[in-house]
Amino acid sequence: MFGEHAGFIIPSYIISFAAILGMTIFIIAQHRSRKTELKRLEDAGVKRRASND
Amino acid sequence: MTVETTKLSIWAFANPTRFMGFANKAIPMLAIIAIALSAIGLWMSFNAPEDYQQGYTVLIMFIHVPTAWLAMMTYSVMSLSAIGTIVWRHPLADVSLRSAAPLGAMFTFLALATGSLWGKPMWGTWWEWDARMTSVLVLLIIYLGLIALSKAFDEPSEAALPLAVMTLTGFAIIPIIKFSVDWWNTLHQPASVSRFDRPAMGPEFLYPLLIMAFAYMAIFFTLHMMAMRNEILARRIRTMKMSAARKHSAKGAT
Repeated sequence: MFGEHAGFIIPSYIISFAAILGMTIFIIAQHRSRKTELKRLEDAGVKRRASND
Repeated sequence: MTVETTKLSIWAFANPTRFMGFANKAIPMLAIIAIALSAIGLWMSFNAPEDYQQGYTVLIMFIHVPTAWLAMMTYSVMSLSAIGTIVWRHPLADVSLRSAAPLGAMFTFLALATGSLWGKPMWGTWWEWDARMTSVLVLLIIYLGLIALSKAFDEPSEAALPLAVMTLTGFAIIPIIKFSVDWWNTLHQPASVSRFDRPAMGPEFLYPLLIMAFAYMAIFFTLHMMAMRNEILARRIRTMKMSAARKHSAKGAT
């Protein structure tokens, strides 16, 4: 499959898929950790100075 | 009256809290569009015929060219955000700029990596210091520099203006990348899709390429909005921690 250049085609797709998937997982993990941190601060009674920042 | 209402509604939307509400609704929809376009684009790419010159290696084009386009489009989004910071000093513009930079660096890295993997079987070399490749490498360095600059300040608002000015200065690389194939002799061929006359590419290759480009754009907008949401949360956490620290030190003083 993909002829004599399979060794170039397959890594191209693997690198692209891995980079996009890795970035997506990183952003989702960052979102979860920040939501948890925000909840912890809110539960501790810490308030923001302004409600719209 | 209508103009005034529209103007007001745009500024109301640019409020970070309203943006968060919008993003929470838009992200799942954008993600579905990105996944659907990627699936269709990949199906069309893998069903495209072999190129008479490149054979199956043409498959790399369907991912290399969109990443190169996205590398430049992301920088253009950052430059527009920089204008938003400089002209209106809007915090959401700075949030947009910072959140786009790592995505731009990723697309630029992918353009270089897949280009290298395409270049070896086609041109017999992994790398050549030709105008197109060198200018894209410079773009990657600019992205990394901007990411470093964005992290160099403790207070994000202090970094906003220098970051915006540096971003706009770096925009000079975009026309250089675009027209490098016309201005200098390079291994890359001149523009094949964005031409004044018809694209120099058969529809069997052009359509999968365009669908993949739209898929990558949808991926960018999904991840950008997610990253912007994270940046707003980070600023809220920072504000709350500073507020707690102030309260704590005020208590200690009394």
